[in-house]
Amino acid sequence: MKKDLTRREFIKGSAAAASLTALGLPKKNYAWTAGSDKLKIALVGCGGRGTGAARDCLTSSEGVEIIALGDLFKERLDSCRANLQDLGDKVKIIDNKCFTGFNAFEYVLMSGPDIVLCATPPGFRPFHVRAAIEAGKHVFMEKPIATCPTGVRHVMETAKMADSKGLGMLAGTQYRHHGGYQEIMNRIHKGEIGKLTICNAYYMMGQLWNVPRKPGMSDIEWQIKNWLYFTWLSADQPAEQFIHNLDIMNWVNESHPAKVNALGGRQVRTDPAFGGVYDHFAIEYEYPSGAKVHGQCRQMDNCFNKVCNYFIGTEGSAYTEGFNDPVGWIKKGDKIDYVGGKFSPYVQEHGDFIKSLRDGKPLNEGQQVAESTLTCIMGRMAAYTGQEITWEQALNSKLDLMRDIRSFGPMECDAVAMPGRTPLI
Amino acid sequence: MNSVHINGSDTIQVGLIGCGGRGTGAAHDCAASSDGVKIVAMADLFPDRLNGSRENLKGLGDKYGVTDDMCFTGFDAYQKLLATDVDMVILATPPGFRPVHFAAAVAAGKNIFMEKPVAVCPTGIKMVMDAGKIAKDKGLAVVSGTQRRHQKSYLETMKRIHDGAIGKIIYADVYWNGGELWSVPRKPDMTDMEWQLRNWLYFTWLSGDHICEQHIHNIDIANWAMQAHPVKAFGMGGRQVRTDPAYGAIFDHFAIQFEYPDGQVVHSFCRQTDNTHSNVSEFVVGTEGKSDPGGWIRGKTDYDWKGDQAPYVQEHTDLIASIRAGQPLNEAQRVAESTMSAILGRMVAYTGQEITWDQAMDSKLNLVRENVAFGPAMPEIVAMPGRTPVA
Repeated sequence: MKKDLTRREFIKGSAAAASLTALGLPKKNYAWTAGSDKLKIALVGCGGRGTGAARDCLTSSEGVEIIALGDLFKERLDSCRANLQDLGDKVKIIDNKCFTGFNAFEYVLMSGPDIVLCATPPGFRPFHVRAAIEAGKHVFMEKPIATCPTGVRHVMETAKMADSKGLGMLAGTQYRHHGGYQEIMNRIHKGEIGKLTICNAYYMMGQLWNVPRKPGMSDIEWQIKNWLYFTWLSADQPAEQFIHNLDIMNWVNESHPAKVNALGGRQVRTDPAFGGVYDHFAIEYEYPSGAKVHGQCRQMDNCFNKVCNYFIGTEGSAYTEGFNDPVGWIKKGDKIDYVGGKFSPYVQEHGDFIKSLRDGKPLNEGQQVAESTLTCIMGRMAAYTGQEITWEQALNSKLDLMRDIRSFGPMECDAVAMPGRTPLI
Repeated sequence: MNSVHINGSDTIQVGLIGCGGRGTGAAHDCAASSDGVKIVAMADLFPDRLNGSRENLKGLGDKYGVTDDMCFTGFDAYQKLLATDVDMVILATPPGFRPVHFAAAVAAGKNIFMEKPVAVCPTGIKMVMDAGKIAKDKGLAVVSGTQRRHQKSYLETMKRIHDGAIGKIIYADVYWNGGELWSVPRKPDMTDMEWQLRNWLYFTWLSGDHICEQHIHNIDIANWAMQAHPVKAFGMGGRQVRTDPAYGAIFDHFAIQFEYPDGQVVHSFCRQTDNTHSNVSEFVVGTEGKSDPGGWIRGKTDYDWKGDQAPYVQEHTDLIASIRAGQPLNEAQRVAESTMSAILGRMVAYTGQEITWDQAMDSKLNLVRENVAFGPAMPEIVAMPGRTPVA
């Protein structure tokens, strides 16, 4: 195994594919359709969300089993493996298909899966989904799918490759697979609340976990274990968390935004333990139709919390929040119509995906989630720089945070962005 | 002299309290606005500011008539000026002093032009509202420096909005995103208090923070469009770039969402950060159209304001005409509500909480300081949402 495959080689793609093929990657049919076969899945990134995604995938459909795990850290892999044990004969993980270290994902790809679940910190996502598609695997990828415009473009290219190979790409923007959301979106698209004028989206909540730095931890280990707080790894809150809402905003507007302005800062969560990310953002998007989206996201303890979406049209309004039953309502005049749906979209998305593979019509959400990720990233960029940014500027931005890290060692902490000084790249 | 000055032939004698840039400008605007107006008295804490302003106002020719014995300095200068027989005063000190000065001017029976904002805390707001009612009872005119209310482009456009040109209002966005403002370097002999007063923009007890001091213009337009004040607000803000202690403890950006009685939402953005995207405007969207209330409508009937007009002069023209007509304008309650809307925005950003109008009005937050003197002064502490209490 070529252990120090560089990032540039990976971006070239062909070099990476050649190296993997040379190592005897199983040459399975890319367009997997045979309904009778067991579908083999493998998980790359065994944290909380990855473990959850594996469970969701396994419970979503019959004839699915997990055969391999990969994670940078052995302790995360072990706890994931233990967690999944209760799923019985759907778990077919043997010791020599558990891979750790920076190259674990390459070994996972060689372990014979049909579907690879990519759930590492988002900064690694573009590399991993490219390698998986090149290796002929269907991909589930957690959101966000990149942390910078360069990474977004990389995934957009990968999505085209997947199309041409007949491979599926499912994204972890699970609301797209929730029946209640689908109903509300459909009814809005059919004009039930008139023309959309403004939508308001919120992800205002408390602080999240962090892992204290232990003596002996290298910079890179510390950053990766605290990936939420490093923009190159998490993309910061607008993309890492608020993407759920902003993806819905693109969905309801049937477009990505035309431009963005934003304010933000690092006001309370200023300890270096929290890297260089902000703790609050207020983002204003304008869509090609002229409709606006206002978004506020915050991670501060003991503040007013609000996580939901409002859609205001010329003839009514609608609302969604989480995925409890009901998930929201549509209001017109005095009439309010609650929309329900008692199921987990986290499971549903995998069910939809596997059905699409078995039907021979693989879902490919790559371009869609890449656009939603860029929507979030351009909001972050507008806040960090203080500039107004158009979609074209963001899409063509040379900002490149992709780091194909292959060993622990020293790494400088991100500088905290300063609007008016941080350049728009 | 009769405090209710209605005799059109008499000259209106005007005293200026607060001789900084805006006060001097307001005196010029007042003099330019009407015949029969004369600046006759001046008051400022600092002799250097008074003298500089006095030199400037000499350019007004026969509308200037300030004698040495009508110049007052020190912390009690406003009281001395109010004890003279001027008909009208311009209140243009830092806003923290406004409630006390306004109440004193009303008590002294003066007609009043007062710069915005008119307070920096709910306690001050209530003082202004109370004094505004007394002014009404006394027949005194009160006009505030929210000059867009006297600007024809706004008046004509807003009238059409209220007549239904864009249907029912759904939401509005208001912005004051601009660069940094001036500051006065601290000299070795400056006491804390002198330093704070000369850099009043950067101290919440003096300016109300920039959402109140500057962005009030746009928030006032939101209230005008909605024909109401907000019922509640939440939002965020911080001190991200302008962090040097020279800039006191105020924030450099705010993003607030106000909710109005019919559920409409107003988004407010303000920022004072150099080399960032600038936008000072308002935008209103209705069921049947949209408008920049400063001059255009795209809706059932399109409208474009054509023309030019100096609103800073017009507000004085309107004020003085109302005095002479014996129908004194009284904007105290309205500008107090607009100021309070901005204060509410600051409070939600400083604390991180959602706060209703009634909660804010009932809050014990009191930044009004009487008996201010030169000497040591407590520094303000930068607000930390989630930790700073609502009070």
